[in-house]
Amino acid sequence: MNGVYIIKRLFTSVAAFCISVTIMFILLRLMPGDYITMYLETIYRYAPPDVVEAFNHVYGLDRPILEQYVLYLLDAFRGNWGYSLIYKVPVLTVIGEKLVWTMVILVPATALATLAGIGIGAYSGWKRGSKTDIALLNGMIFIRAIPSYWLALMILIIFAYYLNLFPLGGYVDTGALITGIDPLDVANHAVLPILTLFLFSVTGTYYLMRSSMLMTAGEDYIVTARAKGLDELTILRKHALKNAMLPMVTMITLECAGMITGSIFVETIFSWPGLGMLTYKALAVRDLPLLQGILLVDTLLVIAANIAADLIYPLVDPRVQVGDNG
Amino acid sequence: MNAALLEVRGLKVGFPTPDGLVRASDTVDLELYHREILGLIGETGSGKTVLGMAILRLLQPNTVIEGEIRYRGRDLLSLPEDEMRKVRGREIGVVLQNSGTSLNPVYTVGDQIAEAATLHQGLKGSEARHRAVELLDAVRIPDPAVMAREYPHRFSGGMRERALIAMALACSPSLLIADEPTKGLDAVTKREIIDLFAEVNRDRSVLFITHDIEAAATLATRVAVMYAGEIVEIGAAGEVLSDPAHPYTRGLLASLPERGMRPIPGSAPSLITPPPGCRFSPRCATKDCKSEHPGLVEVGPGHYARCMLYDRG
Ligand SMILES: Nc1ncnc2c1ncn2[C@@H]1O[C@H](COP(=O)(O)OP(=O)(O)OP(=O)(O)O)[C@@H](O)[C@H]1O
Ligand SMILES: [Mg+2]
Repeated sequence: MNGVYIIKRLFTSVAAFCISVTIMFILLRLMPGDYITMYLETIYRYAPPDVVEAFNHVYGLDRPILEQYVLYLLDAFRGNWGYSLIYKVPVLTVIGEKLVWTMVILVPATALATLAGIGIGAYSGWKRGSKTDIALLNGMIFIRAIPSYWLALMILIIFAYYLNLFPLGGYVDTGALITGIDPLDVANHAVLPILTLFLFSVTGTYYLMRSSMLMTAGEDYIVTARAKGLDELTILRKHALKNAMLPMVTMITLECAGMITGSIFVETIFSWPGLGMLTYKALAVRDLPLLQGILLVDTLLVIAANIAADLIYPLVDPRVQVGDNG
Repeated sequence: MNAALLEVRGLKVGFPTPDGLVRASDTVDLELYHREILGLIGETGSGKTVLGMAILRLLQPNTVIEGEIRYRGRDLLSLPEDEMRKVRGREIGVVLQNSGTSLNPVYTVGDQIAEAATLHQGLKGSEARHRAVELLDAVRIPDPAVMAREYPHRFSGGMRERALIAMALACSPSLLIADEPTKGLDAVTKREIIDLFAEVNRDRSVLFITHDIEAAATLATRVAVMYAGEIVEIGAAGEVLSDPAHPYTRGLLASLPERGMRPIPGSAPSLITPPPGCRFSPRCATKDCKSEHPGLVEVGPGHYARCMLYDRG
């Protein structure tokens, strides 16, 4: 770990942040429709131009687009991400509250998917061509081939509606209004969203781990290990797994950040009050400050994941020093 | 002569491929006596590595293997896998062909050497580490205690070769199979590795696979020459290398830089459909033997050649 590396890393991170803020700013403004017009039209079926104009003036939306951009960029760095148009509170407050709920389903789903993907993928790749490998591979291809939306709906219909094993949606029972939030009740509500997110994520990890293990299994040092008289399980656990995991480190950290996107549809289908659901809502009514805030959080998570990958990698691969691949 | 340490009888090794069975070893007979170095030479693709790997049963699972490989009288080919694991590393050590990639990059060299000692001799943590340092010292790695804690990428080619030899010797096996241990090394390092093998040989037998005929001449007690999956000549090193009986061995020697560098015309035949008769006949300048496949015939005491010049019946 050296100073030059930290400075370089900081610089690229800031640059990446600015670029995504810019792209996001442009893309969001390319969307048809704006908050006030859509709001008035849903309520009064008509948006009086003077009202729209007054609203835009208050929020500074009538200023030149470049000025808006520069102001936004500066404020984004200062931590002033504006107020949500629907909730009328600072964007960060809303996001912070919802992010916690997203983590409730995202963390277990990602952790389980990563562990299962690596475990099953490693086994499958090690036993390449065996009946188990082929069965696992086909199973994963099958899950992967199902459109995610449809899969989520099917899980909901089968487990919640027909089998009645889990609630249809939401995060607590209505009883919570009186008794307060019961963690067990929340866990019960979280099972199906977690299962869906798990299935959504496990196949990718599996594929990658399997092919990484295929490569590793053919390496000369595996033959060396065999020539020492080690048994297959020890060779797999000790000599193959660690090497096959190397390309996974980067992938897993990025996957963690990418899962936020995956949670959008899961949360909308299961009415889970997290960041994904919030994104959906904000998008529907064109709450631009809120949308921008959410996307900024996503960006920061990806950047953080990248840095984490860079810092973790040298810990597992002795050939790489911190900064070598940065 | 006393009973051989290793006896290979009628060994056939075939790799099933979409184009047919690649017969990488075809009816190989060989014995390796106590404390001898048997040099195994032959062009690339002649089946030297396959033979070495077959002895330890390290070839891919779908390989078709027939024949007998007797080690101290036990047939290795019919041993159950868990018995075979006790032979690998403990009775027979091996130094693989590609020293550059044969060490695991994520463990220290010391750990990898200690592993076999832990497995077969039950050495614990510090004992095993100590043994690894001892072994590194024995193969002349400078600063063995420090180098034992280093990862393989910090080792030069010559040092990796030594580390692999140390690893193969960890449990003092009676037989060491070394596959081209001098490949890609500079002249000085090569010399040192050859000296190391001479020392290693003091208490064990070595199957020394090499392209380096000079190394074979220096080290080997006997030399076997392989061509297209067959042993075509075998005998005392001095005899085979100074007075070769087989036209292929003669060609091989004539292709050496110091003997005029006249390569044998043509190229090695397909191992899926080898030429009928003598496999070397398409390239042989001496005799045309397309119809009869010669057997190994004794041409001098303990010196055999597979050639129609000598096979008369
Ligand atoms: N797994 C395999 N599948 C198919 N063919 C193989 C396989 N392994 C080896 N062969 C073939 O067997 C033959 C003998 O290979 P081998 O590696 O023993 O040659 P070699 O004498 O060691 O050559 P070199 O001097 O280049 O190391 C070659 O023609 C090779 O292509
Ligand atoms: Mg070879």
